[in-house]
Amino acid sequence: MSTDLLRRGVPGAQALSQVQRRARGAYDIDEWGLDPELVALANPVLGLRWDIEVRGADQLPAVGGAVLVFNRRFGISEPWVLARGIRQATGRFVRTVGVPDVAPVGPFLRRFGGVLDRTDEIAGLLRAGQLVGLPMSRDLRSRERVGHLEVERLEAALETGAPVVPVALVGRELGRSWTIVVGEPVPPVIDGGPLAAAELAETTHAAAQILLDESLPTGWWF
Amino acid sequence: MRVLITGMGGELGTRVANLLEADESVTEILGMDLFPPRRRIFRSEFHRVEPTDRRKAVHLVRDFDPEVIVHLGVFEPHSRTSPSEARRGTAASAVSVLGAAAQCPSLRSIVVRSGIEVYGRSRGAPTRPDESVPIAPTSPFGESLAHVEQVAVEAGEVADVPVTALRFAPIVGPSIPSPLGRYLRLPAVFVDPVSELPFSLLHQEGACQAMVAAIGAGYDGPLNVVGPGAVTATQAVLMGRRIPIPVIGPGWLAAGALAELQGAPLPPHSRELLVRGCTADGSEARSVLGIDPRSTHDVVAQLYRWEIVDHPAPTGQVAPR
Repeated sequence: MSTDLLRRGVPGAQALSQVQRRARGAYDIDEWGLDPELVALANPVLGLRWDIEVRGADQLPAVGGAVLVFNRRFGISEPWVLARGIRQATGRFVRTVGVPDVAPVGPFLRRFGGVLDRTDEIAGLLRAGQLVGLPMSRDLRSRERVGHLEVERLEAALETGAPVVPVALVGRELGRSWTIVVGEPVPPVIDGGPLAAAELAETTHAAAQILLDESLPTGWWF
Repeated sequence: MRVLITGMGGELGTRVANLLEADESVTEILGMDLFPPRRRIFRSEFHRVEPTDRRKAVHLVRDFDPEVIVHLGVFEPHSRTSPSEARRGTAASAVSVLGAAAQCPSLRSIVVRSGIEVYGRSRGAPTRPDESVPIAPTSPFGESLAHVEQVAVEAGEVADVPVTALRFAPIVGPSIPSPLGRYLRLPAVFVDPVSELPFSLLHQEGACQAMVAAIGAGYDGPLNVVGPGAVTATQAVLMGRRIPIPVIGPGWLAAGALAELQGAPLPPHSRELLVRGCTADGSEARSVLGIDPRSTHDVVAQLYRWEIVDHPAPTGQVAPR
């Protein structure tokens, strides 16, 4: 019946069809818990909350894994903004690191692409060709400084050879407008060795800071 | 090549024996198990051995002097035996057979059945571990499998031969006794929709193909053998047109008791899978063994397609049509 309604272009027929499919269990969910159809169902609601502009999305690989290192202040909106913005611009899902492994919050956030904060978890995602959103630490005092970047997490990128891309997020926690600025991928470390991850983290941190400095508006009210 | 198959009486063991019987490079096959083979075997020799009868098992292994050991003598709790019998049988079978095999002069490789339950699902554990993740089992079955792997590695070190530990996702199929399969086929199934995580499954045929491929590969180390993709418990239940009954926390005690009353007892590792998920990265096994297991979605779909049961007519009668 829903197929017939869809063909006739009846309003709401697509949503009805999706609900029917879900009731039959005919939907996909990946090994980490991402439910793309649920994300699509929630899309209109997320659209009411955030209005996102994305610059430099062409810097991201069209296929294959990459680590997107992004700044955050309070860290509530940023993961959602990054995931939604990149999905709108490229059609790819971003798996944001840092979901607590506690029910029901953890499983709920995993449905929208959240993953655990573990180096082996990030490496597994990169091997599977996923985009991984790696947040820097919170900086509650100032929106003009990017936080600290955990070196160990970048070992996953070195291990898999995935590019590391700095991303600046500009917006207010309670505001609707956000801007995502994607920077150039950080050149890979050729030598390797024990210092490779630390050097990569330092370069990425500096690149993200420059990107944020250039992206922040200059008005006094901001 | 002389191949010794432990656990030949199980669905996997019999099928692996049949596959090896078709291989001309396998000259002799000796099987042993507590139960007789599930199907006809053609040129394999079978011996019924109690897992705890170490003397008989050691005697058979030494006399046969195998070149390859395929150790399938792993008993899943509530599959065909009680949890305590399963634990004792799995441990005793591994120690006696693999211990005796380590002293066989012709031994070239060991292939053992393990499971992805060895990774455990403690809080914060990786969601999709690969073979490099250290094992940390959190269920009795996971501990049993970890013990089998440990014994096999020790035997391999003594005999200086490669040991392939195939870590299978939970095996489900049309004729394999599986507590998870039985549970999911109940008319109404308890699920935990607020905390459940996805799990992966493996079809029984995929497990057998992996076993046979591992004999030829001679790989040294563990390999995850997992059907691609994953499902949640609620999704599986909906796919089977069963009724999902939400339950959380302590409610699982009552749910487990009710399931047992209906003939589908739920062992701890299956309950853990339904709530905490259970999956692993199987790309290494696909590359090393050249296998292509069925997807988890296909395995679940087939689980619910056994609606028609053929009842063979008694001897001398014609089945009604």
